[in-house]
Amino acid sequence: MTAIAQPATTRRKEGFSAFEIFVFTLVIALLVIAVFGPFLAPDSIYNSDIANSLMPPSAANWFGTDDQGRDVFWRLIVGAQTTLLSAFLVVTLYSLIGVTLATVAAAGPRWLDEGLMRITDIGLALPGMIVALGFAAAMGASLRSAIIAMAITGWPITARMLRGIMRQTMEQPFVAGAQVLGVSKWRLMTKHVLPNSLDVLIVKWAGDIGTTVLVLASLSFIGVGAQPPSAEWGATIAAARGYVSTAWWTVVAPGAAVAITSIAFGLLGDIIQVRRDPSLRGN
Amino acid sequence: MLAFRAYSWFLGRRLGLTLLTLWGLASLVFLMIKLMPGDEAQMAAGADASAAQIEAVRERLGLDAPVIMQYLSFLGRLLRGDLGTSIVTLQPVLADLEKVLPSTLELVFVAMLLNLAVAIPAGIIAAYRQGGVFDTTSRVTAVMLGGMPAFWLALVLQYVLGSVWRVVPISGQQGYGMNSPVVTGAPTVDALIAGNFAGFFDTLHHIILPAAVLAALFATQIFRTLRAALLGVLRSDFIMAVRAKGATARHMLVRHALPNSLNPVLTLSGTQAGAMIGSAVLVETVFARQGIGAYMFNAVAQKDAFAVLGSVMFIGTVVCLVNLIVDILQLLVDPRIRAAQLGSQGQ
Repeated sequence: MTAIAQPATTRRKEGFSAFEIFVFTLVIALLVIAVFGPFLAPDSIYNSDIANSLMPPSAANWFGTDDQGRDVFWRLIVGAQTTLLSAFLVVTLYSLIGVTLATVAAAGPRWLDEGLMRITDIGLALPGMIVALGFAAAMGASLRSAIIAMAITGWPITARMLRGIMRQTMEQPFVAGAQVLGVSKWRLMTKHVLPNSLDVLIVKWAGDIGTTVLVLASLSFIGVGAQPPSAEWGATIAAARGYVSTAWWTVVAPGAAVAITSIAFGLLGDIIQVRRDPSLRGN
Repeated sequence: MLAFRAYSWFLGRRLGLTLLTLWGLASLVFLMIKLMPGDEAQMAAGADASAAQIEAVRERLGLDAPVIMQYLSFLGRLLRGDLGTSIVTLQPVLADLEKVLPSTLELVFVAMLLNLAVAIPAGIIAAYRQGGVFDTTSRVTAVMLGGMPAFWLALVLQYVLGSVWRVVPISGQQGYGMNSPVVTGAPTVDALIAGNFAGFFDTLHHIILPAAVLAALFATQIFRTLRAALLGVLRSDFIMAVRAKGATARHMLVRHALPNSLNPVLTLSGTQAGAMIGSAVLVETVFARQGIGAYMFNAVAQKDAFAVLGSVMFIGTVVCLVNLIVDILQLLVDPRIRAAQLGSQGQ
């Protein structure tokens, strides 16, 4: 790394590139669809119309119809809300768990820190999706079970990262200053250390949504998440998988929706990260 | 002497972590059993069990005892290899899983080979020609593959390559009449043992697409990691020295840059080996392969709760053990990891 290569402050003032604008637009469009889509969908998508089943894409049904004769396009729009809302819920819940554990570990006595970090080690060493699958299956297969299961298995990376950052923040002079002023430990952690460590989570957030959408779709596909007739995308693929050779659009469309959402949020995460740390540019 | 002490210190610590993880996993599975709605004895005995059978199961599992005693006896049963009984096959879950494990290991092994065989050359070329056409296309491909659901990619490729173009079999592990006597349970290995070469190529023909799907998901990570590591190394001073002495690009890349960039790739591929076993759940079922993933999928579909939780315990254990083996191998193979692990912690 050479000293002249990084005029970071000037780079940060650059406008957005066409690619960045494209990703922002995509994410915003997905959010708008998730919020308003279900209100725009015709009621007919909730009822089956067997006479019209498995129709190929046409002007009336842009993405064709499924085995129940329901419009695939509108079901995707309705499913966007279920999928994205669930993903936001999961990431929020496990971030809260991660923040709590990291704060307790960073502030607490050494034995508590050690203990919590060994528990985190266990969490990191286990295959997260398999453990989530077990929890969801045990609680009774449903979207709610899958959300809870993903929340209780998703926190270890957050907890590990944040605890490390909080320990670094605690070395800063302003923390020592606050201590000298007699700020209580609780107040010190919640009002000074935590707010100054949180931006690592803000960077991680968007990428986490992308991964969570994938895992949720996987759990639903296996059968421990959202159940038919839910319009959740993974459950839709599971219900349609038998028709892939007769009506490919019933499988391709919801899978593409998962992929586009996951990729869009993943790219948003990358963009935020590079904007924060321009030395990553090009990597 | 010092080296020996340092080695055993590292091994002891690593073994300790593995045991701790297995205990954590067992506790999580116990928690899952306790979270199940309804009567545990009824779940373990099956929906159509008689009252007497349910009572017998309750007796055997000690379900009238306090929870702490139940937990201890659960751990005791695990140590004896008792993962419960499947209400579908009526066999011990462990016996069922042992039968299908070789098929999964075979799939993961082939997938890992494909993964490294594609991602490493791609990473080298992309880093060497940073910003070039190959770099850009492969990065875009990596981002797209990274966001695709595994089971969906499997379904689409199965349809296109299996049904439309017919270049690979649609599903199964081997063609009709091609099977060899079961020795290990892994079809490719069994065919080789039997000297059945037609059968061997048939099993390879069947495994190539599932393994490629599995590999595609993981190759994106190896590609990104190797590319980033190489870019770092290619900027360093010693590479300039290598070029200054007149080395060819190939010599510089293969002899100097690559060995210094492989460290993160090795570590990553170690974790991937474990993660691939977990992801096999999504791929095996699409291709009707008879591995632990497909077993678990069927158990979910048939509401065979103890078979599902037994599979969680089993897959988790296999993943932990694979990670342990990979860590030890790495220690033996890579002098730098050896130096770091033994040097800093050995005293």
